[in-house]
Amino acid sequence: MSDVFPKWTNRLPRDLALGGAVLLVCVTAGFAYYFTPKYTRQGYQPIQPVSFSHKTHVAQTGLDCRYCHHSVETAAFASLPAAATCMNCHNQVLRSDPRLEWVRRSAATNEPIPWVSVHQLPDFVHFNHAVHTRRGVGCVECHGDVSQMDEMRVAQPLSMAFCLECHRDPAPRLRPLEAVTETQWQFVPAATNLSTAQTLEARRDFGRKLIRDWNIQPQTSCNTCHQ
Amino acid sequence: MSHAPHNAQESSFPHPGPASGKDAYWRCMEALEAADRRQEFPAGAPEFPDPVSRRHFFRIMSASLLLAGLGSTGCRRPEETRNVAGVDPGYTYGEPQYFATAMPSRRHAVPLRVKSIDGRPIKIEGNPRAPGANGGTDLHAQASILGLYDPDRAGRFAVNQQTVSRAEALGFLTRHGADLGNGQRLAIVSEQTGSPSRQRLRECIEKKLPAARWCEFEALDFDNAEAGASLAMGRPVAPRWQLDQAETILSIDCDFLGAEENAAAFAGQFSQNRSPSKPKDSMNRLYCVESLFTLTGSNADHRLAVPPSMLTAVLARFAMEILGAKSGTLTNLAALAAPASAFSNWIVPCAKDLIVNKGRSLVMAGHRMPLEAHALVAAMNEALGVNGKAVVYTPALIQNNLSMAKLLAELNSGSIDTLVILGGNPAYQMPAPTDWAAAQARAKTVLRWSLYEDETARLPGVHFFPATHYLESWGDARQPDGTILAIQPLIEPLFDGITDLEFLARLAGLEEALPQAIVRATHHALTGGDEAAWRHFLQNGCAADSAVKPVSTIIEQDSVAAAAARLSPGNRPSTAALDVVFYRDAKLDDGRFVNNGWLQELPDPVTKLTWDNAILISPATADLLGLARTNSSEPHPIIEMTLKGRTVRGPVLVQPGMADNTLGLALGYGQEASGRVGRGIGFNAFQIRRPDALHYDFGATIQRTGQSAPLAMTQSHWVLEDHGIIRENTLQGFREKPRFAQETGSSRPADNPSLYPNPLDTEKNSSGHQWGMTIDLNRCIGCSACVIACQSENNIPIVGREMVFRSREMHWLRIDRYYIGSKVSPRSVTQPMLCQHCETAPCESVCPVNATVHDAEGLNVMVYNRCVGSRFCSNNCPFKVRRFNFFDYNRNPPDHLYDSPLASQAGGQSRLKQWLKNPDRGSLPEKDYELARLSKNPEVTLRMRGIMEKCSFCQQRLQRAKEEQLIRSGDSKDTRIPKEFVPPTACQQACPARAIEFGDLSDLQSKAAGQRASLRNYAMFNELNLRPRVTYLARIRNLNPQMPEMEGVV
Repeated sequence: MSDVFPKWTNRLPRDLALGGAVLLVCVTAGFAYYFTPKYTRQGYQPIQPVSFSHKTHVAQTGLDCRYCHHSVETAAFASLPAAATCMNCHNQVLRSDPRLEWVRRSAATNEPIPWVSVHQLPDFVHFNHAVHTRRGVGCVECHGDVSQMDEMRVAQPLSMAFCLECHRDPAPRLRPLEAVTETQWQFVPAATNLSTAQTLEARRDFGRKLIRDWNIQPQTSCNTCHQ
Repeated sequence: MSHAPHNAQESSFPHPGPASGKDAYWRCMEALEAADRRQEFPAGAPEFPDPVSRRHFFRIMSASLLLAGLGSTGCRRPEETRNVAGVDPGYTYGEPQYFATAMPSRRHAVPLRVKSIDGRPIKIEGNPRAPGANGGTDLHAQASILGLYDPDRAGRFAVNQQTVSRAEALGFLTRHGADLGNGQRLAIVSEQTGSPSRQRLRECIEKKLPAARWCEFEALDFDNAEAGASLAMGRPVAPRWQLDQAETILSIDCDFLGAEENAAAFAGQFSQNRSPSKPKDSMNRLYCVESLFTLTGSNADHRLAVPPSMLTAVLARFAMEILGAKSGTLTNLAALAAPASAFSNWIVPCAKDLIVNKGRSLVMAGHRMPLEAHALVAAMNEALGVNGKAVVYTPALIQNNLSMAKLLAELNSGSIDTLVILGGNPAYQMPAPTDWAAAQARAKTVLRWSLYEDETARLPGVHFFPATHYLESWGDARQPDGTILAIQPLIEPLFDGITDLEFLARLAGLEEALPQAIVRATHHALTGGDEAAWRHFLQNGCAADSAVKPVSTIIEQDSVAAAAARLSPGNRPSTAALDVVFYRDAKLDDGRFVNNGWLQELPDPVTKLTWDNAILISPATADLLGLARTNSSEPHPIIEMTLKGRTVRGPVLVQPGMADNTLGLALGYGQEASGRVGRGIGFNAFQIRRPDALHYDFGATIQRTGQSAPLAMTQSHWVLEDHGIIRENTLQGFREKPRFAQETGSSRPADNPSLYPNPLDTEKNSSGHQWGMTIDLNRCIGCSACVIACQSENNIPIVGREMVFRSREMHWLRIDRYYIGSKVSPRSVTQPMLCQHCETAPCESVCPVNATVHDAEGLNVMVYNRCVGSRFCSNNCPFKVRRFNFFDYNRNPPDHLYDSPLASQAGGQSRLKQWLKNPDRGSLPEKDYELARLSKNPEVTLRMRGIMEKCSFCQQRLQRAKEEQLIRSGDSKDTRIPKEFVPPTACQQACPARAIEFGDLSDLQSKAAGQRASLRNYAMFNELNLRPRVTYLARIRNLNPQMPEMEGVV
């Protein structure tokens, strides 16, 4: 019988089990890394050098996004405000607050504040803010409800699938241009007493109307974003 | 790829085989002789360069991939910060800005509009606001941006090659300047300049240092036309050719489309009248007499190759014919013209044509011709009645310059203590017997200002001052018409250099040493402009109405006669006493661009040689001397050439169409002190150039050495085989058969039945645009500016000489040059070849991973992230326009382009460690990496090893235009880019001859759509049903029926 099962086969079950375990760990790790929000950075919330709260400024003060991110409707990059922009208000408000020390210094000396980049696309992806904001895609669609965030975090996966989902079916996500920067905007259907499904359909119809009126044709070819 | 079985295989799809015999187009000598031996790739194309074997290559490839994988899975994406300035800088991050500036050439400058992103100059374009400019540029302007980011540029102040601080060096300059007295023992040698500020500064310095000697030094100067015209007119005038005013042009060794100054402007003027769209349209006619085979010659309708020693005779013969009765005072013309009697059957009808078109014909002589010849040309143009039309004369600047010979004499006699050398490179360009080095050593203090620490700067005892690149400098210049151009910096000096203006001002101790203030003062002095005018000047790049008014001139017959009397007929060359032409290299100029990788790798527009120079020789002479090769795999024989006792060694390159018994030597190669790119490439032809025979020399002999060397030529790469690639006809033929272009080649109907509908056919209706391009072969002169423009726009790497041997050059756009006719006097056609964006692209159907796909607007798109490098697409591409990254060209330094991370150790530090630490940087040295990061176009992805790439129709520009239109449109329906906002592609924008039209084919008003409907329009490879989006306009030659066939050359 020894010819049929040589001695090394004694170790086979153990090796198989071990190998299987290693494989399982690798596969799990691979999935955990590549297919989870952690990989896509969803939920990423770095600590900023100055504890700026979007919640305070948007929900409490009612600032419009465009006050600080001033090129969001004209350029690919939405702009981060210079400290001088902060000082427009903060030379009146919280004039000697220690948390604003860096901001005051920066505005006075032009020394940069190293804000940590929160939303970051890979270098081979081209994204243009203005095209979206000028064509009815609200800030919240990608950035989430910023008005409720004390410390800024990544709300959506910002993966290619996320982009394509909307590019393939923009209807439920379009809104009037004047509402693009409103974080609390809600679609209000004309008719009342609609079921949830009917509300969604009405929302969709509203989007379809915008698509027709504005000739919206989101591109899905590769070179739209990869150049 | 053999052709024999075609007929047997294909009964229903007739595939025309290549034409043969007299009508065959051919690319290289070997191809003509053995067409059937042609191969798609040269021998060894897929092999790894020695000494590492292919197997070893795979081993290290897989190992490095494995390690790269391990390395990258171990870390998360790094935290990045955005350092926002405290005060708004006034521009938006990532948005391009455009600045007007100019690239100085010798006496003039090329007006430019430079794109800058985040403070970095990214792409150079012509400035369309300059008078007479069409927005095109020459290839040197396109390539000059690489020079800005050249890590090998001089970056330190030095004394005797020891680094000193900037403060120390400038302090010395000022102190030394203060000790110069009246300048009695000072000599300033500078390269030519047309800068009004330099002129004004010189006047200021002359007041302070009246006894200083000034000398202009250019290894190649273009002043003979000016000197000759001034002689003929009896006053200092400069001729300015206006080719758009001329219908019949005779060029006598004048390569105005290539090697003359301002060639790009000439190309624009020349092509204006070169493109008949309807049979009854007229076009200009170009006659060319030349010794080499130049771009001008290849665009000529009639071309005569004569050795340089016969050029004077030919010119004299033309003068006899044209000046006719007037030539009474020109007594020696007949004697001068006697040797040209062999060409009289060519010259007489040509001269007759010029005379018939009196008032619309122009004679031009090249910079190599002696100034007396230019005086004769001026007289001929006057007789042809084109003064004030096709040639105008503007007042020339007289400068009291010392000649180089006198300066050398003064230096050698020890009467110069301080020698200032601005630009140029005399130690390299004037070797023995002039022996600049010895003369320079006689001066006690040598101050050297230049862009590179070159041969001149490395001589002992030199005080070296690094120059700023023109994109870092304030300055000004003049266009040929006198318009003042602004040179303004786009970036702070990267390497701590100083401008020439500041250098001179500090040396002379002038009060105002800030270059901007100097330029501004000059602007004020010349135009009287205020602040607003100055702003306007900087914004437009040129001062309005600052062109110089032409002067009326009268030929002084006596002066012309005296000049003609000084000319002497040459002796006909033989194989034992060969004529020599020293010519300006199309790429390196006189050597100033030697460290520019784009230019080094650019195939020479005519010879298609890269990374080298060679001794050009005609096929017949090569046969006589036993230097001809029989097939393309044979290396080129190296010969030793002796001229007046001095010798130079170099490989022989047989150039069809060249004059017999003539050698052509390109200047600018063989520099030993250049940077890593250009060091030791080619041989230095300056070694045998004599001060009194700068352009032509006679009586050379050659000797075979028995050695040979391969030359990296691209002419046999990417060969297309079909009949009807090039379609051309005579103007007469076009009139008789207006649709010849569509009727030539395969006549297969464009629509093949297909089982699978092409999705593009339906998408076409809903999509906003359908992009397409037309290329007018009649306008294309083959200058290759588009190739460099494409390289600059699309971050295309250089691959080095080794890889060019293996046909791995990466140019997305190449210029195919075809010959037709005999080896002795072929005609030539150039054809820009790029991805044709076929609607039924064969590359797409063979890609295993869908990495090349079509978008709805007709673009054939490469998806780099999907590409696995199977190279099937390249194999299946009928146009051979796909390029594969065999190496990580972007992550290796230029002198170690082919090293893998495992190949060797770099500077003690493990290469692999460095790769893992920063995969983007690879094994680039820190400085190279930082500069490379600055220099790349941020709108185009960098491709890594193993990725296929190709022309994208500059999709980044299209995408930006589309985005801008959407931003404009907002909540309206106007999403279609209006015609005026359709961006030009990089090649189209750079083309000085406007040969390329890109646009929306679905917009019938667009120029591209209009051209596509032209009678001359044709698409290649009809029988393959590719439906390419790039089509060509057939070439028309305007032949004179009176002229002999282009045969029978000496």
